[in-house]
Amino acid sequence: MNLLQSLVPSLGRSGGQARPEGSLANADLGPTVRPAYTLKETDDAFGATLYLPGVTKEGLDIDAENGVLTVVGRRSWKQPESWTSLYRESSDATFVLSLRLDLSIDVDKVHAELNDGVLRLSLPKSEALKPRKIAVT
Amino acid sequence: MRLVRYTYPSTRSLVSSPLFSRAPWSGLESEIDRLFETAFGEAPTAALGGSFPVDLYEDKDNRYVRAELPGVSRDAIQVEVVDGTLTLQATRKTGDDKAAESVSFSRSITLSDEVKADAIRAQYENGVLTVTLPKKEEAKPRKISVQVG
Repeated sequence: MNLLQSLVPSLGRSGGQARPEGSLANADLGPTVRPAYTLKETDDAFGATLYLPGVTKEGLDIDAENGVLTVVGRRSWKQPESWTSLYRESSDATFVLSLRLDLSIDVDKVHAELNDGVLRLSLPKSEALKPRKIAVT
Repeated sequence: MRLVRYTYPSTRSLVSSPLFSRAPWSGLESEIDRLFETAFGEAPTAALGGSFPVDLYEDKDNRYVRAELPGVSRDAIQVEVVDGTLTLQATRKTGDDKAAESVSFSRSITLSDEVKADAIRAQYENGVLTVTLPKKEEAKPRKISVQVG
């Protein structure tokens, strides 16, 4: 999406809208699509739900580097040789989603669960940043 | 495609502002980006309810319908054939008791006469529903050996 910027570099922008680059995002994955996802926030964690139909545990890569969490989901199903495709709405492209994390997330405690093509990520907030009540003495 | 009201950047506010913190074309630029995102970025998915992507395949003996329905429990999927129309219905339930969310999907496909409606099978795996529709014997390709006498 940086087409305009690469053509006319002087159209400098504030950033933040450019796609964050993680190491997996740079790997050669062929065509990719961004999966549908939702984000939720609770007091102690952020929760991300990604819809990755046709992705198994083996085809899933989650990587956190340089403050960017990248999820890559490869579809496990391949069209058998004898099948003729009559009509397609889905694509075979690999799912890629990059989320830029800020310092408030404890990367070591990220938890992921894949079930029926839905990936649930729990991104716990660092202890230091959780809301805390301070009693007045 | 979404409809977003576009507010034209007001030139007067730019002139009167002493600091040009935003370029005058930033509104247009984000608008172009949004256009690209919607055109190429997002795949049709069943995240928000309503419809879901469906693929149709065929081989010698069967026709196949593959539907992307991530996160639906098996008992919440209904596959029905009524009057030559295949209807796929599913409900996804998420959230806990306090904030339960339920999303329903439905899709209908007209079947041709060559499908045996009573021998349809459905299978759900990794968020993809595969419906196998066997063809009637007379619709299958047949080899006729020609005898030269």
